[in-house]
Amino acid sequence: MNLTFERPTETSVATTVEALRKDFGDRAVTTHAIREQHSHGEGLQDAGMPDVVVFPETNEEVASIVKLCNQARIPVIAFGTGTSLEGHLKALYGGVCIDMSRMTKVLETNTEDLDCRVQAGVTREQLNTEIRHTGLFFPIDPGANASIGGMSATRASGTNAVRYGTMRENILGLTVVTPDGRIIRTGTRARKSSAGYDLTRLYIGSEGTLGIITEIQLKLYGVPERISAAVCQFDGLSNAVNTVITAMQMSIPMARIELLDAVQMDACMKYSKLEGFAAKPTLFMEFHGTDAYVAEQIEQMKAITADYGGSDYRFADKQEDRSKLWKARHDAYWAGMAYCPGKQAFATDSCVPISRLSDCIAAAKAEVDKSGLVCMIVGHVGDGNFHVQITFDPNDKDERARADKVAERIAHIAIEMGGTCTGEHGIGIHKLDALKVEHGEAVDVMRTIKKALDPNNIMNPGKTIPMT
Amino acid sequence: MIEAWQAQIKAAAAKGQKLQIAGGNTPLDSAAGAVIDTRQHTGIVEYEPNELVIVVRCGTPLADVESAMAKAGQMLAFEPPHFGEHCTIGGVVATGTSGPRRPYAGSVRDFVLGTKIIDGKGDHLSFGGKVMKNVAGFDVSRLLTGSMGTLGVITEISFKCLPLPKAQATRVFDFNATDAIEKMNRWYAEANPITATTWVDGKLYVRLAGAEPAVNTAVQKLGGESLANDTAWWADWREQKHSFFERDVPLHRMSCKSTAAPLDEAVQAIDWGGAQRWVRAPLADAAKTRYWAKRHGGYATANAAGSRSSFSTDGLDAALLDTHAKIKQSFDPYGVFHGL
Repeated sequence: MNLTFERPTETSVATTVEALRKDFGDRAVTTHAIREQHSHGEGLQDAGMPDVVVFPETNEEVASIVKLCNQARIPVIAFGTGTSLEGHLKALYGGVCIDMSRMTKVLETNTEDLDCRVQAGVTREQLNTEIRHTGLFFPIDPGANASIGGMSATRASGTNAVRYGTMRENILGLTVVTPDGRIIRTGTRARKSSAGYDLTRLYIGSEGTLGIITEIQLKLYGVPERISAAVCQFDGLSNAVNTVITAMQMSIPMARIELLDAVQMDACMKYSKLEGFAAKPTLFMEFHGTDAYVAEQIEQMKAITADYGGSDYRFADKQEDRSKLWKARHDAYWAGMAYCPGKQAFATDSCVPISRLSDCIAAAKAEVDKSGLVCMIVGHVGDGNFHVQITFDPNDKDERARADKVAERIAHIAIEMGGTCTGEHGIGIHKLDALKVEHGEAVDVMRTIKKALDPNNIMNPGKTIPMT
Repeated sequence: MIEAWQAQIKAAAAKGQKLQIAGGNTPLDSAAGAVIDTRQHTGIVEYEPNELVIVVRCGTPLADVESAMAKAGQMLAFEPPHFGEHCTIGGVVATGTSGPRRPYAGSVRDFVLGTKIIDGKGDHLSFGGKVMKNVAGFDVSRLLTGSMGTLGVITEISFKCLPLPKAQATRVFDFNATDAIEKMNRWYAEANPITATTWVDGKLYVRLAGAEPAVNTAVQKLGGESLANDTAWWADWREQKHSFFERDVPLHRMSCKSTAAPLDEAVQAIDWGGAQRWVRAPLADAAKTRYWAKRHGGYATANAAGSRSSFSTDGLDAALLDTHAKIKQSFDPYGVFHGL
């Protein structure tokens, strides 16, 4: 079975836009600037503008937009903060972009139950600011100040996942607007899946192709008594990677453990003005717990890094020092861009079983060296997930082709090693072919689910699940 | 085995017949169709402790999986109950059953990395894999967890493994139910290394586990009495062999928000940090317990055995039921498997 979608006629689009203008007034915007801004994420610029951007404020308003679009067979694309990387937001067939940035209420915080309910447009930084007084925090940190709705729809993770899990493990329930414009509520406050199927998990990571997530019930955590960050440098990349593998196999409960290769470290030192480091393979680490527990974790890690010839630790215990360190890590992409003026870049997202990580990174590095392109490696290596940022000259067709080739090879190497082409960025439009390689016939079932839940294929058509 | 099951499912689909999928403890109904006995497909396919992943066939006894992992110093961290010696690993996933560690470590679905299934068309399909994070396509493995065999035959599962804790201690406190609920929630929020909490017969049991210094610090901080043979006590509780489960009055299981106040005057036990309640009451009181659970953000089941034995869509509204029916249809268009 194939999925199909035809671009709606200009008349049908115009009628829908007019109806939305009538209902939403100046919250239905058709200016070129706003449409352009909503046509892409942070990855490579993909042209493909929506016809109109609407800013709803309630679940019911979202439902009314979707209903209208379903009747007219107009595509619907949900927009959080526009930080996705795989072309999730590109309006392949035009249509209506639903911008969630006016749905920013933290609806409830239950400090004793360690959970909260938020509207989809709440960003993770806003949430953490609003709940700071409770002594609780929401740990998932993909770097960007993404919206909780967007993070749910893409099953985001980031630097804290090794300790706290990904969005998948931290969502108790959702409110979702279905493709026919109904509002459903999945999951319960109880930390036990309720009757029926685990729909919550189906919607998490469905990239807006099955419905629009409008509210999220999230788990929260107590702020640890002590947080300590440390940096350790190595002479060889494999020594740094093997340190991580050993730490994971010993189950040292690291909160974060991030790898930067020599090129990336060089770029980050220049961009973020990190002083006193060398351009060498580096691990950024963070430990959470009681004083005694953190001290013990650090001792264990020091023993491991010493075995692999790691340097002395540089600690950052004060909040501002830690923030500087993690900002430098999260700015790795921009550091890479500044490192190679005039170039563009995109990132791979392989994830492999932890025991294959060293082999996989070595194989990826070999592909990079063969290509002659400047590439940087960063990784949430505690999860087996790493990114190769591949730079190329946008005006040089040959470089672009080589960059695509490297990315494809790295994805396939990961799949051959029992891994995945995408650990956290998602499929979007860029990894549709890799999904087929990875999942084979199972893609048919995903397509059948998509077709069953969204028979008119209006929800973010052309993304996540290959049409054919 | 797989080919034989595929053929059996295809034949049943063509004839419009139903099949029953059986694990170790499945109650079978002679009128409900031929049986696919998952216990015929056994064995550990792949287990490299260094990978922190184990891949097993559906019919493998849970006890075999656990003993292989224990030899390598690892465990299934959701602590699944066995409910007898025949429990299969496929049954654990199909029923989505977790034990006392569930609120602290995560549930079955949090540890399922990948699944293989035969769907209602007889196709053998693979979802997810062996990696800790995977966002390639829909999260079908999680959808299958707890689906009670309504979507297909789960033939193989890969799980994330965790090391066994280095140290463990259980502390016992004399508290009434209200105080016990307050302590369970507060102590967990304070980031103590708690891995199980149960209040029964007027006593709160708190299990601490992890690195030795962390456990020792928590023991000092929380106080209470030490419990000898605590591993055996928790195993009894998990397997419902504790005397609380042996009384004559029917058992109601309620899932609720963890801070819900105790039910008035009920004979009850409080589990999972407050999120699971067991109540002894006549079955006639089922409506009352359902109402109570709903008011506290959850739901109730009246259940003598304590484990789920059939697929329930109780309490789902029309839009949710419609979504369920579409998912069922996607996997099992000819209605070969039970449910919905």
